[in-house]
Amino acid sequence: MDLKLDDDDLNSCVQCGLCLPHCPTFRVTGDETMSPRGRIQLMREVQYNDAPVTSEVVDAFSTCVQCRGCEPACPSSVPYGHLMEQTRETLVDAGKMTPRWQQLALKPLANPRLLQTGSAALAVVAKTGLVPKRLGLPDKIPVRQEPLTASGTDVLMFTGCVMDAWQRDVHRATQRVLEAAGFGVTPTSDMAPCCGALQTHAGMTGDARSLAESMMRSLSQGQFAAAPILVNSAGCGAAMKDYGHLLGTDEAAAFAQRVYDVSEFLADHVDKLEEAFATSGGKAVDLRVAVQDPCHLRHVQRVHEATRVVLKPFVRELVELDDDGLCCGAGGAYSVLQPELAGQIRDRKVSVIEAAAPDVVASANPGCSMHLAQAEVSTIHPMELVDSALNPR
Amino acid sequence: MTATRALEVNDPALLSFAEEVGERDSGLVAVAGGRTRWGVGGALDPAARVLTAPTGIVDYVPDEMTVRVRAGTTVAELHAALAEQGQRTGLPERGGTVGGAVAVGENSMFVLGRGRVREAVLQVRYVSDQGRIITGGGPTVKNVTGFDIPRLMVGALGTLGCLAEFILRTNPIPALTRWLVSDNVDPFAILDTVLQPGAILWDGRQTWVQLEGHPPGVEAEQRRLEAIGSFTETKGPPETPTHRWSLKPSELADAAQFGDQPWLASIGVGTVWASQPQPHRPLDPGVQALTDRVSEQFDPANRLNPGRRPGVSNPTGGS
Amino acid sequence: MAGFLGSVRRRITPQGLRDAQQDAAADPVVRLLSDALSADRVRIDGAHRSLHGHDASVFDGGVSGPVCYPTSTEEVQAIMRIAKEHKRNIVPRGAGTGLAGGAIPLGAPIVVAVTKMNRILEVDVENRVAWVEPGVINLDLTKHLQPLGFHFAPDPSSQQVCTIGGNVANNSGGPHCLAYGVTNSHVLAIEVVLPSGDAVMLGGVDAEPAGLDLRGAFIGSEGTLGIATRVCVRLTPNPPAVKTLLLSFASIGDAASTVSSIIADGIVPAALEVMDQRITQAVENYVQAGYPTDAGAVLLAEVDGLAESIEVDAERIAQIGREQGALEVRVAADEAERAALWKGRKTAFGAVAQIAPDYYLHDTVVPRSALADVLEKVYEIAERHDLTVVNVFHAGDGNLHPLLAFDARKEGVLDRVHAAGAEILRVCLDAGGVLSGEHGIGLEKQKFMDEFFTDDDLEHQNRLRQSFDPGCRTNPGKVIPTGHSCADIAALKRVSNEVWV
Repeated sequence: MDLKLDDDDLNSCVQCGLCLPHCPTFRVTGDETMSPRGRIQLMREVQYNDAPVTSEVVDAFSTCVQCRGCEPACPSSVPYGHLMEQTRETLVDAGKMTPRWQQLALKPLANPRLLQTGSAALAVVAKTGLVPKRLGLPDKIPVRQEPLTASGTDVLMFTGCVMDAWQRDVHRATQRVLEAAGFGVTPTSDMAPCCGALQTHAGMTGDARSLAESMMRSLSQGQFAAAPILVNSAGCGAAMKDYGHLLGTDEAAAFAQRVYDVSEFLADHVDKLEEAFATSGGKAVDLRVAVQDPCHLRHVQRVHEATRVVLKPFVRELVELDDDGLCCGAGGAYSVLQPELAGQIRDRKVSVIEAAAPDVVASANPGCSMHLAQAEVSTIHPMELVDSALNPR
Repeated sequence: MTATRALEVNDPALLSFAEEVGERDSGLVAVAGGRTRWGVGGALDPAARVLTAPTGIVDYVPDEMTVRVRAGTTVAELHAALAEQGQRTGLPERGGTVGGAVAVGENSMFVLGRGRVREAVLQVRYVSDQGRIITGGGPTVKNVTGFDIPRLMVGALGTLGCLAEFILRTNPIPALTRWLVSDNVDPFAILDTVLQPGAILWDGRQTWVQLEGHPPGVEAEQRRLEAIGSFTETKGPPETPTHRWSLKPSELADAAQFGDQPWLASIGVGTVWASQPQPHRPLDPGVQALTDRVSEQFDPANRLNPGRRPGVSNPTGGS
Repeated sequence: MAGFLGSVRRRITPQGLRDAQQDAAADPVVRLLSDALSADRVRIDGAHRSLHGHDASVFDGGVSGPVCYPTSTEEVQAIMRIAKEHKRNIVPRGAGTGLAGGAIPLGAPIVVAVTKMNRILEVDVENRVAWVEPGVINLDLTKHLQPLGFHFAPDPSSQQVCTIGGNVANNSGGPHCLAYGVTNSHVLAIEVVLPSGDAVMLGGVDAEPAGLDLRGAFIGSEGTLGIATRVCVRLTPNPPAVKTLLLSFASIGDAASTVSSIIADGIVPAALEVMDQRITQAVENYVQAGYPTDAGAVLLAEVDGLAESIEVDAERIAQIGREQGALEVRVAADEAERAALWKGRKTAFGAVAQIAPDYYLHDTVVPRSALADVLEKVYEIAERHDLTVVNVFHAGDGNLHPLLAFDARKEGVLDRVHAAGAEILRVCLDAGGVLSGEHGIGLEKQKFMDEFFTDDDLEHQNRLRQSFDPGCRTNPGKVIPTGHSCADIAALKRVSNEVWV
């Protein structure tokens, strides 16, 4: 069948295999069908050779975490993430692949353990509208917290769905750090409820497009028209930077240019933070901190070095994880849909973390944090570390 | 596909050697070199006609770091010619021929610095059991064209083919070579101190270290050595005892096994020259069976160097 | 890619699908394999069989039979015994990064993927060896040894993904084998499961293992003599100092003659790599390592060892370079610059995608003194066939990698690529070169073997093959050309049957 994949994109892979060790599912399985090279070859088999979309083929596609760790490793610059998104969209539309909301809805209900571990992610997708309300899922979203308030209009702080619900403290910390650097901050809150990343990964591109359009409308008005949009969740930032591709318009591409990861933005203003640090009499956080690079920060946005630049002055010691930024297995809803693989991938990450022996792991993505926390890894957002150095309690 | 290059060997020396070896019905044949390790691998069948391999350096281009040499040439003659161009090979210099050194396969005492015999052979030409000249390997320093026949010939004692000619890899002779001796150093600590010694030899009392390289490098290594023991410059190691042992490097520490008589151990390598033979080490039955199949394939009539058996330790001694 | 686009479209009827599924399910060998391993490690579905029909080469994918993922020597033995009993062929496979088609299955054999046998079993610093399973990735091993001050010396460009088992099968090299030697110099012992199902230990850790050097004969045999299940590798101490020099030249000829002069001077650098202008530009575009894109060629020279010694060599190399007309001689200032330069060199082949979507990478060795001449002819051949060629190669040991870049979707281009490839190979042979320096013969160069070896030579290679694998069931149809028994099995005809069962 026609997967509607671009000919040039699909043929840009020369099958050298350099992606294999950078793919978390290949790493834990050693199975070619669970590698980027294998998945691309299967796309070709389906698109060009009329290979049937068997359950194994669907498995090969649905086990992809979409971490895109293969992309920086690819010397041919194969746009793997886009190929996978398009493949899923086509297969979902053709009824060959089960939409993720259905999988999410059916899987945990049939399995109490999954229900427990999956509830967090479920609550999130419930809020994003991925799961129809009629399924009657329990509302797991925590009680309302103190609202965020604007302090100026220099920058917009994207608050999103997951983090706003679950980690509003991270937003508070982020806002304080930005303010310490001299920026007036407006949280986007209800102006931009969701970036659409999960929808895009699930092959529900239509929904993602309308979320993107609505966000662009509300964040491009009047006083905000040119303000940088700062994101402290790597997955959201990556999705928003890709609006140009998602919507295919110049306007969207221009909007995407305004999007920065918060560390990426602050890396250019570390001097201001250090000044504030010196005057406030703050104290570097007395911890050995390992930096865990969220895939969508490292492999997609490719701005992970900024996290180190921003963290370095404010913690006792920074240590690197020796796995070339291999995925932790969180992958948005992946850890719920593919618990076994996600667990194996996480085990690998945990052993790398143990080898580095940090006091805490800094992660700039809520999904990674939650996933690692389930393996009893203590995680913290980089902005919280900087905040507590600047504002010791 | 028609061949455009002359693949057939036309060196008269090799052709007449092949004729001497003869076809399968030409009876038992053996090849003698310098007879310096004549007893290795068991006694030769006395019925065998004993031949000598052709001699002479055929082609030597120093810039390519390779030399084509016939098997009957002595290692001494080869090395003398190479030394004129500041080069050498990894073959041992013990008075024998190049063919003998490859057939026996025993390494020089400089394995750490110059490598093993098996690493020196790039191409081999030998006369088969059917009297045909066979080429294995190739002339370049790097080559994976076809199966690695040269490796198979090293240490095969001529039982798979009568060795006739080789292309060997040569190496530059370092600017400076220096032997040092110590009577108070831990010989096993040297390998962690010196990056690439030429040799480390230990006789239970004294330790000899060969350093090679650019003068500033050798001086620096010597200074590092002097931090772990006291060393004096010397001409070289003592004479090596008769019998050759093969051990793991880690097994050398147990010196008692070598007996009361003099011995010399190659640290980091595992070779020991001792006054008594090494206890017999039979081949694993599976490896023996595979070895037998290889012999059967290459010389079904068992006519090449009959009586020799690779892997049989030297029963009569003789160095 | 070329092989893929060159393949025939396959269509299946629903009835054909049902029949094929029943056939596979009914295959007694599949049941036996599943019993010996486990059902989830014996795969017969179309996705697995299709993907295991390819490696990283441009050759048409074959068709795999059952794909097995053993996790122990015993399981490999069980697979071999079942294959022997039922007269099935076996193809071993590592990461599938081979460029000569060595891992492509012919005649729907059982594919044995060793990727799940990926444990580092023991690091024995006292004896300076490590014991590893064949699926361990080359660079993972080196990283594992790093804190102990050692590494595994062979470093093929695919080292971040290729396996130690694959390195053994291909006697892999890499840029740094100029000074350190290829895989054969770094593997002391190999546990091999023979086609009989017996496991034997070839070689040993002791100084001179008794008997024939069967270890040496096994290395580079491209999976035709058995399956390595445990490999004992030498640990090479990390050099205390490294200097990487970048020399740029007006022409690739100047770079090549500089290489000859360096070697002739008695220097053995750790690596001497040359890239021509086209590939330098593509690489620079990809890694931004600071390669000069206006030079005709660049030479990457690396010396390592004692700080005191490499200083001498580095100065001498710079001097020779200037004598040979170098436009620029630059020493990498720090580890970051050095790493960037090497990253560029090691990802060069992939960066070719910026030039054209497909490539065919050659691998031959010529005498160093012939490099400049041969390269000139290579460019001439490519031009005559209207193809783009780039050259990036291990100049220090004369190991050329002419790379033809093309778009396989263009009519007739594949014929031109193969014709040019054959001409290049013959130019190299005429110059006194060999067929392959490190990629192997595989499927790719079988048909040229009789231009390098006589029938008698090949018959003797077959003798070695027969002594390990009398039934010719392990990776049949590789290395030894058609006309020499092991390649001649009727069952090896390309199977056109449906893989999507």
